[in-house]
Amino acid sequence: MKNKLILTVIAVAFLSSCTTTAPIAKSIAYKGMYYEKPLTVLLMPPINRSTNVEAKEYFHSTLNIPIANAGFYVIPTFLSMEILKKESAYDAELFLNSPLNKFGEVFGADLAVFTIIHKWDKSGLAAKVYVEVEYIIKSIKTNEILYTRKGDVTYNTSVSTGAGGIAGLVADIALSAINTAATKYVDVARACNAYTFKDLPAGKYSPIYGTDGAQLAGKKEFKARLNSKYR
Amino acid sequence: MKKIIFISISALLLASCTTQKPLYSWGKYEITSYNYLKNSDEKSTQELIETYQKIIKKQKGSRGIVPPGIYADYGFVLLQANKTEEGKALLLKEVALYPESKIFIDRILKIIEK
Repeated sequence: MKNKLILTVIAVAFLSSCTTTAPIAKSIAYKGMYYEKPLTVLLMPPINRSTNVEAKEYFHSTLNIPIANAGFYVIPTFLSMEILKKESAYDAELFLNSPLNKFGEVFGADLAVFTIIHKWDKSGLAAKVYVEVEYIIKSIKTNEILYTRKGDVTYNTSVSTGAGGIAGLVADIALSAINTAATKYVDVARACNAYTFKDLPAGKYSPIYGTDGAQLAGKKEFKARLNSKYR
Repeated sequence: MKKIIFISISALLLASCTTQKPLYSWGKYEITSYNYLKNSDEKSTQELIETYQKIIKKQKGSRGIVPPGIYADYGFVLLQANKTEEGKALLLKEVALYPESKIFIDRILKIIEK
C-alpha cells in the first residue's frame, strides 16, 4: 500500500514536470493543422505594436528555426521579404483580416505566420525584458486560424549565454564582437519563439509527423520566465 | 517485481520529457541574419555567407541534409552581391532539394532576368 502511494506520487511528479495545465491534445487544439496537412510556411514580417523599433527585426530573424525544426518548409526569409516588397505586401497588418489566397499563388504557401509584438519593455536595473507577443498561424486556403498562442514573457538577460565560467565569458565577448546588445535581444526573441512553438504539430519532414496528435497542446495564453539557457 | 515496474515507469516518463536531436543545425544563423537584415554592409554579408557555408558543410541535424531555405537565401545574398551565376546555381539547388520552392524561385529568377 505504502509502495503504491510512493509510486503514484513520483509518477505524478514526473508527469507534472513536463506537462502544461491545459490538458487538450494537439489534435484537438490544432485540428486544422492535422486536417489540412500543410507543408509550406510563409513568415509574414512581424507586426510591431511595441515602443521598441528594433523588436520587429529581432523576431523576423528568429522565427524560421523553430518552425523548420518542427518539420515544415519555411520560405527563405530574405527571398520572401524581397517578393513581398515587390508585391507591395510588406505590411502584414493589412493581411491580418483579409484573404490570403494571393500568397498561395505567389509562394505556393499553405500557412501564413503572423507575429504581433504587443510589448517589449526593458528594465535597466533588473536586466529584464518584458515581452508580450502573439502568434497567429492562418491557413492560406481557408483563411482560418489554425494555431494561435499569446505569451507574456519575462526574460532575464543577466544569465550568461555561453559555456559559463571565465572561458564562457571570454567566448561571449569574442562572439559579441559583432554586437553585444543585438546578440542579447535577438536571443530574447529566439527564446519566445522556441518556447511558444514547442507544441507546434510536427510537419512532413519530422519523424513524428502525423503521430504527435495525442501530445498535449500548451496553454493558449501563457506566462513564462526565460533566459538564454532556454533552448 | 514492484521495483521493476517502478523503474520502467519512471524511465518511460523521463524518456517522454527528453528532447530529441533537432532536425537541423543552424550555427550562428539568427544573429548573423539579424545583422544582415539591419546593416546589409560588407561585414554582415561576409558573416552571413560564412554561416550559410558552415550550415551546408557541417550539418549536424538528424536529417543530415541542408535545412529549408539555406541554399535559396545564400543564393539570393550572392545575387545581391552581383554574383549572378553562383547565386542562380544555389537557387536551383534549393529546388532540387525542396521541390515545393520551385514556384517562388522561378519568380525570383524572372525578376533577375528582367
